[in-house]
Amino acid sequence: MDVAISPSKTVPTRLGAARVGIGGPVGSGKTALVERLIPALAERGVSLAVVTNDLVTAEDAERIRRSGLIDPARVVAVEAGACPHTVIREDPTLNIAAADDLEAAFPDLDLILIESGGDNLASTFSLDLVDWWMFVIDVAGGDDIPRKKGPGVIRCDLLVVNKIDLAPHVGVDLERMTREADAVRSGRPIALTVCRDGDGIDAVIDHICRDVLLR
Amino acid sequence: MTDPAALLLALRHADGTFPSGGFAFSQGLEARAALADDFGPFDLAAFLADQVLRRWAGADRVALVRAHRAAADLDRVATVDAEVEASTASEPLRAGSRRNGLAFLTAHRRLGTPGAEAYHRRIREGMAPGHVAVVQGLLWARLGLDETTASAMGGHVAVIGPATAAIRLGLVGAIEAQTAIATVTADLAAVCRRPIADGQPFSAFLPVVEIACARHATGDLRLFSN
Ligand SMILES: Nc1nc2c(ncn2[C@@H]2O[C@H](COP(=O)(O)OP(=O)(O)OP(=O)(O)O)[C@@H](O)[C@H]2O)c(=O)[nH]1
Ligand SMILES: [Mg+2]
Repeated sequence: MDVAISPSKTVPTRLGAARVGIGGPVGSGKTALVERLIPALAERGVSLAVVTNDLVTAEDAERIRRSGLIDPARVVAVEAGACPHTVIREDPTLNIAAADDLEAAFPDLDLILIESGGDNLASTFSLDLVDWWMFVIDVAGGDDIPRKKGPGVIRCDLLVVNKIDLAPHVGVDLERMTREADAVRSGRPIALTVCRDGDGIDAVIDHICRDVLLR
Repeated sequence: MTDPAALLLALRHADGTFPSGGFAFSQGLEARAALADDFGPFDLAAFLADQVLRRWAGADRVALVRAHRAAADLDRVATVDAEVEASTASEPLRAGSRRNGLAFLTAHRRLGTPGAEAYHRRIREGMAPGHVAVVQGLLWARLGLDETTASAMGGHVAVIGPATAAIRLGLVGAIEAQTAIATVTADLAAVCRRPIADGQPFSAFLPVVEIACARHATGDLRLFSN
């Protein structure tokens, strides 16, 4: 057998639309965030597409397509084979292929949002797949979430603390939660949101525009 | 096989950790397991034996080997690919094979494997469907893996995929799955020794799994793509 094991010298730099991941536990508000981001980004002239990774079938993709906020052809569902973290980290090829296809179909794309299926605090995105990623946690999940130092909470580029409207109802001290999140993240950015009615979305958009789209 | 370099190359490319998209497909296993009431209890060893003997041996393996032989000429590879497209009756299995092929090719494009970029362009232009067995044959040949090795690698991947799906679905334990895999290993090896003629047509016969797949594809509750 004539075998060359020499690795290829360079992995080519990818051109094209920026890819942004959205991870976080089940029900924390990832799809709600996407639904807020779509019109807000459109308003800033950002050409957008969305990939969802539903655990079972294509529920979130259908929800976004039906929202009327975006051309349904710009929304693609990738089935995650019962493994939401595998499809964004260990083997992101199906998601990369879906994003590549969107880029080929819509050459004007500036940004592709990739919503992970709901997972646990250990889920993180591979940088093979995304350029930058957010992790969405739910205030009602408890103010001790940041203290648990899950890799998702610590390593994401932007931590989105969602459902802050619920804090008084679930006995969460939001100020302490934010302080502790700041501490475990060594001061890297955090956004406080109510994705249900749009509170705090502007700050998320500012991060995307500045850190990812460089505008 | 004595050359450790060749063995290591084969192990790396057939490993479950190689990003290929394969984990998202159960090859009809999830569907078949769900039909236990109609077709009897699910048995992993029997399912794997059927996969190997009734599908992989006569279809995917033949496609892989023919693509491997044709690897220097992408037109010929695309012809094999088109034959796979035309001969795979089950839509969920056909579509799954194309998506799996594209994902596998995506990893190889990023890695710079010779032929990956050019073949991807054909798929993008609608000139080739990109079935996984064909892409495996093409790229493994271009990486210097010989025909027998590539064929065994394809068989290994075809068995490991559904077995992993069975574990994830909670149908068998991880250790129990190894027992089932071991029972088909002799079949797999025997199949790999069978000669393949140039231009050999594909044949597969797994009606129960194909019927199950068709139902699965329209169901609203499934974890795997097929
Ligand atoms: N009170 C309140 N509810 C919210 C907020 N954001 C989302 N929700 C609700 O939380 C629930 C889950 O939201 P989704 O957006 O579906 O959450 P998700 O993270 O996409 O869920 P999975 O994809 O299933 O993991 C829905 O009922 C939302 O209406 C918020 O800011 N405040
Ligand atoms: Mg969601």
